[in-house]
Amino acid sequence: MPSGTRRDSSVISQHYSPPWTTPYIIGIGGTSGSGKTSVASKIVSSIDVPWTVLISLDNFYNPLNDQERKKAFNNDFDFDEPDAIDLDLAYEKILSLKEGKATDIPVYSFVHHNRVPGKAITIYGASVIVLEGIYALYDKRLLDLMDLKIYVDADLDICLARRLSRDIVSRGRELEGSIQQWQKFVKPNAVKYVTPTMKNADAIIPSVNDNRVAVQLLINHITSKLELKSEEHLNKLVRLGYSDSKAIREHDTVHELKRGNQVNAILTLLLDRKLSSDDFIFYFDRIATILLNTVLDSIVPYKSNHTIVTPIGTELCNQIELNLDQIATVNIIRSGDCFMRSLRKTIPNISTGKLLIQSDSQTGEPQLHCEFLPPNIDKNYKLILLTESQLISGAAMIMAIQVLLDHGVQMKNIAVVVLIATEMGVRRIVNAFGGSIKIFVGRIIDRSELKDKRWALKNFIDSEYFGCP
Amino acid sequence: MSSEPFKNVYLLPQTNQLLGLYTIIRNKATARPDFIFYSDRIIRLLVEEGLNHLPVKNKDVDTHTNEVFNGVAFKGKICGVSIVRAGESMEQGLRDCCRSVRIGKILIQRDEETALPKLFYEKLPEDIADRYVFLLDPMLATGGSAIMATDVLIKRGVKPERIYFLNLICSKEGIDKYHAAFPDVKIVTGALDKGLNEQKYLVPGLGDFGDRYYCI
Repeated sequence: MPSGTRRDSSVISQHYSPPWTTPYIIGIGGTSGSGKTSVASKIVSSIDVPWTVLISLDNFYNPLNDQERKKAFNNDFDFDEPDAIDLDLAYEKILSLKEGKATDIPVYSFVHHNRVPGKAITIYGASVIVLEGIYALYDKRLLDLMDLKIYVDADLDICLARRLSRDIVSRGRELEGSIQQWQKFVKPNAVKYVTPTMKNADAIIPSVNDNRVAVQLLINHITSKLELKSEEHLNKLVRLGYSDSKAIREHDTVHELKRGNQVNAILTLLLDRKLSSDDFIFYFDRIATILLNTVLDSIVPYKSNHTIVTPIGTELCNQIELNLDQIATVNIIRSGDCFMRSLRKTIPNISTGKLLIQSDSQTGEPQLHCEFLPPNIDKNYKLILLTESQLISGAAMIMAIQVLLDHGVQMKNIAVVVLIATEMGVRRIVNAFGGSIKIFVGRIIDRSELKDKRWALKNFIDSEYFGCP
Repeated sequence: MSSEPFKNVYLLPQTNQLLGLYTIIRNKATARPDFIFYSDRIIRLLVEEGLNHLPVKNKDVDTHTNEVFNGVAFKGKICGVSIVRAGESMEQGLRDCCRSVRIGKILIQRDEETALPKLFYEKLPEDIADRYVFLLDPMLATGGSAIMATDVLIKRGVKPERIYFLNLICSKEGIDKYHAAFPDVKIVTGALDKGLNEQKYLVPGLGDFGDRYYCI
């Protein structure tokens, strides 16, 4: 399994990278109390990208043993030297995020001086990551992962003042202990280890009361980088639709529903804008059921050594036993939801996941808003039916496939199920994943047909099915 | 796509999915809720296969983008005729595809004195002669009652080539006997069994379909 997974991910990297692989990583360092957090939150709130996460290096403090914890409670433990932080773990986690994987970040309790057991923050799908902490700009490996390095510079006297108020008000410590800690650990370490990291920074922000101009300059810079990144993402998606001379139906992973009389007649009904919504739902469910049966006729998890006895007493060996509980579905909200009824008619208790992917209203760039997936989706299922009723650009579907791969699902276990697709959309999926994803389509509309079949470029199925525009 | 192992016999594609569904309903250990659900799944496939054989005519429709789509529409009317009682189990599958379809019923039972099938009851749409007819009976074993039911339909003016006889399991013996009487009727089935045992049950079969669907 690990080798298969590795192969899968290398194939993808050549073809498609969603915005959360190679997220934009910003490191913010500076001495304790310098105002890193306030700069970080200004950046996060100003760039206004919903997929921004702020991670504090404080989460990576090493757990203390009993003796160290005793020291810590007596303010006699050095939290301010680099070794207090598990930079290896921090690197491992940030690297995993940079690779686009769902990643668990530990949670540290300052009250107990330990990681909170069984508690972690799962981060997935972030396009921008802000890593903040005194040693954010210390470790070479972390620096190499960062796109922008910011050092927040403040006079140590100011730092002390800020630190005291925070320790006493927010962290419930005693004044005397705090001062003792400052003198003994914080200040010497700051001078020895933290201040020198200033030279690693791309930008140094003064921590005066009014650093708005400096922060605004940074925000402008970040915003322009992010726009460039989305543009590249979109361009890449567009390019995936070309660069393949093979006819789309000749790919053996692409299946189109046989054009029998029934299928043709139902499709005609669905395209008729005068069809009542009652009939629309009925005929969509019918053709969706036919499509799902075609998928299962072609690929279904089974064992073939089942022995049964029929009611008249005949024993039958080596019979096929379906493993329908190894099939799950993931619907792209809302167009994929149209398949729910036909799915339940076919496999009543099918495990169901949902993904919300929406296109940016201005650029059209697909964006992952949230994902609800069945637990252990990588281990428990041999077939995952990824549904969407219409495939137009294919961008949302490509993103959805990537989400499954990031959760450890193997390409061979994914089947894309779509009622109407453009050739371009199908081709993008083929190209993005090296032709390894099975695609089942009710009807593929060729590029040449689009001039008089522009309905294939308009999302109408889900609005008709749910009766809302 | 179905195959045509014998003339006018359409066999559903023998895919792993279909074979797996048959494993479930053939197994005597399968309880009734599953028996019903998976029989219904197969019946739905039979109905879709039958419907796919019906003719269509060209039809243009206006789409949501105001373009005209040159499509097709169903031509002609259909109805179902079930042979009571087991055949009635297939009505829901037909209704799942054709919501308001008319359904006629024919009751045939073995005459206690002569041991031959005897027609007890028939209730059919008045205009059945103008319709395509889906004759519903889950098992084609000896073909006795199916032949008698088909005879009723033809006497009411239905053209044999417009009759589709849908069943879940049949045998070569049953097909031959039935087609000897009505060579033009199309049989749509999902499984071809080896033959019949001494009690005239299909082997390996699945027992008494009506009992398993309704009672046991």
